[in-house]
Amino acid sequence: MADENSTPHKRGPLKSSVGSAVVQRRRDHAVTVRKERREALMRTKRLCRVGVSSDDADVTIDADMATDEEQSVLEDQTLKSIEELNLAIAYQGKGAMQKRVNALRELRRLLSKSEYPPVEAALKAGAMPTLVHCLSFGSPDEQLLETAWCLTNIAAGKPEETKALLPALPLLIAHMGEKSSLPVAEQCAWALGNVAGEGEELRDVLLSQGALQPLARMMLPDKGSTVRTAAWALSNLIKGHAKAATELIRLDGVLDAILRHLKRGDEELATEVAWVVVYLTALSNVATSMLAKSDLLQILVDRLASSNSLELLIPVLRSLGNLVAGDSYVTDNVLVAGNEITVRVIQVMIKCLSSEHRVLKKESAWALSNVAAGSVEHKKLIHSSGAVSILIRLLSTSPFDIRKEVAYVLGNLSVAPSESGRPVLIVDHLVSLVGGGCLSGFTDLVRSADIEAARLGLQFLELVLRGMPNGEGPKLVEAEDGIEAMERFQFHENEELRSMANQLVDKYFGEEYGLDA
Amino acid sequence: MAMEVEVSVTGLNFPFLQPVRRRFGPDALFFEAGNIERQLLAKQVTLDITDKEKQQIQSMEDWGSSEVYCPIVGCGAHLLSLEDFEDHYIARHMASCSVCSQVYPTSHLLSIHVSEAHDSFFQAKVARGYAMYECLVEGCDAKLKSYKNRQQHMVDKHKFPSSFEFFKKSRPSKKQRQKTQRKQAVHKTEDASTAMQVDQENIDSLVSAVSRLSTSESPSSISFGRRHTRGLTFVPRAVQKEKRPGQSSEQPKR
Repeated sequence: MADENSTPHKRGPLKSSVGSAVVQRRRDHAVTVRKERREALMRTKRLCRVGVSSDDADVTIDADMATDEEQSVLEDQTLKSIEELNLAIAYQGKGAMQKRVNALRELRRLLSKSEYPPVEAALKAGAMPTLVHCLSFGSPDEQLLETAWCLTNIAAGKPEETKALLPALPLLIAHMGEKSSLPVAEQCAWALGNVAGEGEELRDVLLSQGALQPLARMMLPDKGSTVRTAAWALSNLIKGHAKAATELIRLDGVLDAILRHLKRGDEELATEVAWVVVYLTALSNVATSMLAKSDLLQILVDRLASSNSLELLIPVLRSLGNLVAGDSYVTDNVLVAGNEITVRVIQVMIKCLSSEHRVLKKESAWALSNVAAGSVEHKKLIHSSGAVSILIRLLSTSPFDIRKEVAYVLGNLSVAPSESGRPVLIVDHLVSLVGGGCLSGFTDLVRSADIEAARLGLQFLELVLRGMPNGEGPKLVEAEDGIEAMERFQFHENEELRSMANQLVDKYFGEEYGLDA
Repeated sequence: MAMEVEVSVTGLNFPFLQPVRRRFGPDALFFEAGNIERQLLAKQVTLDITDKEKQQIQSMEDWGSSEVYCPIVGCGAHLLSLEDFEDHYIARHMASCSVCSQVYPTSHLLSIHVSEAHDSFFQAKVARGYAMYECLVEGCDAKLKSYKNRQQHMVDKHKFPSSFEFFKKSRPSKKQRQKTQRKQAVHKTEDASTAMQVDQENIDSLVSAVSRLSTSESPSSISFGRRHTRGLTFVPRAVQKEKRPGQSSEQPKR
């Protein structure tokens, strides 16, 4: 394999001009490949390279870029293996089953090992009807397994290729039944996970055909790779579908299994189950409510505290964020300011804020802002937790999207709701935030092109101008070039921002400003 | 994200900051970065993703979501990122007058300001009845004979708010304010306008240097920000001369 990539100029000076052309072609090929590869990486589908039962020890993963010649050789081999398969199916004599399995295995290998499996060629050669036939009831397990594996990889690529699996879906769902062997059921679940990952249309088809229940059942046992694959497939299946999410949580044993896996499962399993929880809490109020009343919050906090796997932390953090954002039961009853759980929640959010990972910083700031939107006690708790210095530092140094979330936290810390409807300024908090140096970060937001951020920045400046004791506000704002920042809005196309900025400048930096300096 | 607009006792019609809880749907743009991270991490082994490739993909997604159009009226420049916006703003919208430091978002407005505020030649022509006051909207070639007439033109033809005052004395920096206050204490009848020196040479070179292409065609009706009327708006020198020298307060008013 390394030979194909060695530079041509080693062959000798006469060949060098040819060599550079080849190199250029590879380079051009590489640019287009990168786009395709990027798309492949972004998909929620997963190619199956090593089978679920891992019997096959001779699968070598060939990640090198296939040249045109290699690709066409692959396609020829694919056509050949499908011919073989058709012959084997027609053959009625002794050893027919083994012939079929061998042919399927060959096709499966061709579809598993290269970077760009020859899916299109396979479909063109009529692989689908043949594979559907191989899924017939009563077929031996080995045959079902290899067939489902082939279908998995056919469905792992482009949309039209995934859609080609439509005729196979009812059978794949059926073979996930409780009487099926575990590896077969798992491979079918994998294939269906890819189909569900394609889009709304196919998800709807799968749900109508009854894919939800068998997948949910497969998630109930304590361990095994099947549980993990089923959880992943479920996350793809309920993704956009509020009704399916609600239906899922109501199925017998599902809630218990989710909690169990999150609490005791290994990190890989917990990751996939956490994504299921992400969609449950984001889509279904019924699910959120049920989960809020369970032990989930505690379990999520424990995971956040103990794990360092980014893959796991992302969905666990987001689930926590969804719970806090969505259900007032959580903030009113569980995260009561006196409870220990509340302190722990804030602590793990601080841990994520201090992480080096952008996603964790951003989403934990968001979650924290929702806790800070609660009662005055919540705000005091956060304010005294040590989060503030971290937040102010993030406000000055991190990428924009994080800074915006941090601004929400600090803003929410500075005002409290009141019965009259007019928010009450918490002067202590404001003074310490400004003293900690948050003003320059807020002025930067005022200057940004993002309307929401600029609005938030202006609102905070208003607090400072109005609320800082001894009338210090205007001087402090001026020192950060706040006046200049606000004056930029004179020619800004957004009328509300113009009005807000002008009001502040007129009121606080009018004629009398600086007279008693 | 609804914020109540409150008319407070201070008379401000300002949407005060309120604490708010925010929820996002699973497909919200907010979660995109995390979703991408999930896919990249899951496939790191099977598809042999290098760190460099990961970074490339993540940064490509960043640009996709943070593209922005310049919100300054008449500009609309397309910018790849928010960081780019600040650079763009500094380069294109901070035309500042070298005499009085007033900043304008376009070179067109700056050059109008320079003529009207610092050019005695301009004032001379006005005094002789030439129509020298240009319309502020780029593309409209109207010229009016007086500041007031031009003001009326902006209101009538271009729907400017009648309270709009384009010219105001620039608010000098704190240092300048302190300097002038000290000067005041010493020279009570001083009439010199430190901020108003007309340096013809500088003006010429400034005006010729302001040769940038104007920003894209502005819409036919622009509305500029409202400002409350100030006590003393900028008054052209010709009119100022009539004032009594005793009114020596150089305290810049807005």
